[in-house]
Amino acid sequence: MFERFTKDARAVVLGAVGHAERLNAETVEEQHMLLALLDREASRASFALTSLGLADRRESVKRALAEARRRGGLSRADADALSGLGIDLSKIVSRVEEAHGEGALEAERKGAERKGAGRGKGWWSGFVGGHRPFTQGAKDVLTESLRIALAQRDRYIGDEHLLLALAARPGVPAEALADHGVTYASLRRVLYGGGEAKAG
Amino acid sequence: MTEATDLAERAGDRDPRIGLRAVSALRRLLEQLEAVQVRSARNQGWSWQEIAAELGVSRQAVHKKYGRQ
Repeated sequence: MFERFTKDARAVVLGAVGHAERLNAETVEEQHMLLALLDREASRASFALTSLGLADRRESVKRALAEARRRGGLSRADADALSGLGIDLSKIVSRVEEAHGEGALEAERKGAERKGAGRGKGWWSGFVGGHRPFTQGAKDVLTESLRIALAQRDRYIGDEHLLLALAARPGVPAEALADHGVTYASLRRVLYGGGEAKAG
Repeated sequence: MTEATDLAERAGDRDPRIGLRAVSALRRLLEQLEAVQVRSARNQGWSWQEIAAELGVSRQAVHKKYGRQ
C-alpha cells in the first residue's frame, strides 16, 4: 500500500518519526504528524494551509501543540469532559508541576502512550524504520488518509490526505488547527472547491 | 447554571459521549500521574516492591511497566 504514498506523504511520515525523536517521545503520535506537515513546502498540504492563511502562523500552531503536551497531551475537549466530573485539569497540571517541575506530565507521557502502539503489523510498517511504534491514533490517521483518498478517487495518498485525516479526527491536532481557521471543511473547500464535506 | 455544572449534569446523565470521553481522558491522565509518582518514588530510593505495594499491584507489573526507564 505504501507505494501509493507520494514523496510528500512519505516525507510527512518520516518527518513525524523525526519529531518524535527530537521530542524524546517513545511513540510517534498524531501531533508529530502535524508538526511534520507544517514543515512541508510546495506540497498539496502546504498549499492548502497557505490558502487558509497559515503560512505565517505555523509557529503559533506549534506553540498550541507544545501547550497540549504540557497538559499531558489531553485536548480541550478532554479537559471539558473532565471538568464535567469536577476535575480541573489545569489545577492538576499546576500542582504536578509545583511538586515535580515544569513539564512533568509531558515528560511522563512516554510510557503512557505505548499501550496500543504495536509495531510493524500494518501496511505502513514497510516504510517506517526505526524502533518507535506509531500510536493507535497515528495509525488511524494513516488509515483515514487512505479512506479519504479512495473517497476522493485519488489514485495516490498525498500529504493533503494526511492533513485532512488529522483535521477530521477529534483530538489535539484538530483543535490546534481549528483554532487557526483550518478545519476539515475549510481544507476540502480549498483543495477540492465548493463540494460538500464528507466528514470522517 | 455554570458551564461546569451543565457539563457535569450531562456527564452524569444524558450524553454518553461526554461521560465516555471523560472516562477516557481520566484514564490517560491517570497513567501519566502514575508515571510521575513512580519516577518520583524511584528517585527517592523506593524499591519496586514498595511502590507496587502502595499501588496495589504486583512488583512484576510495576517493574515491567516502568523498569526500563
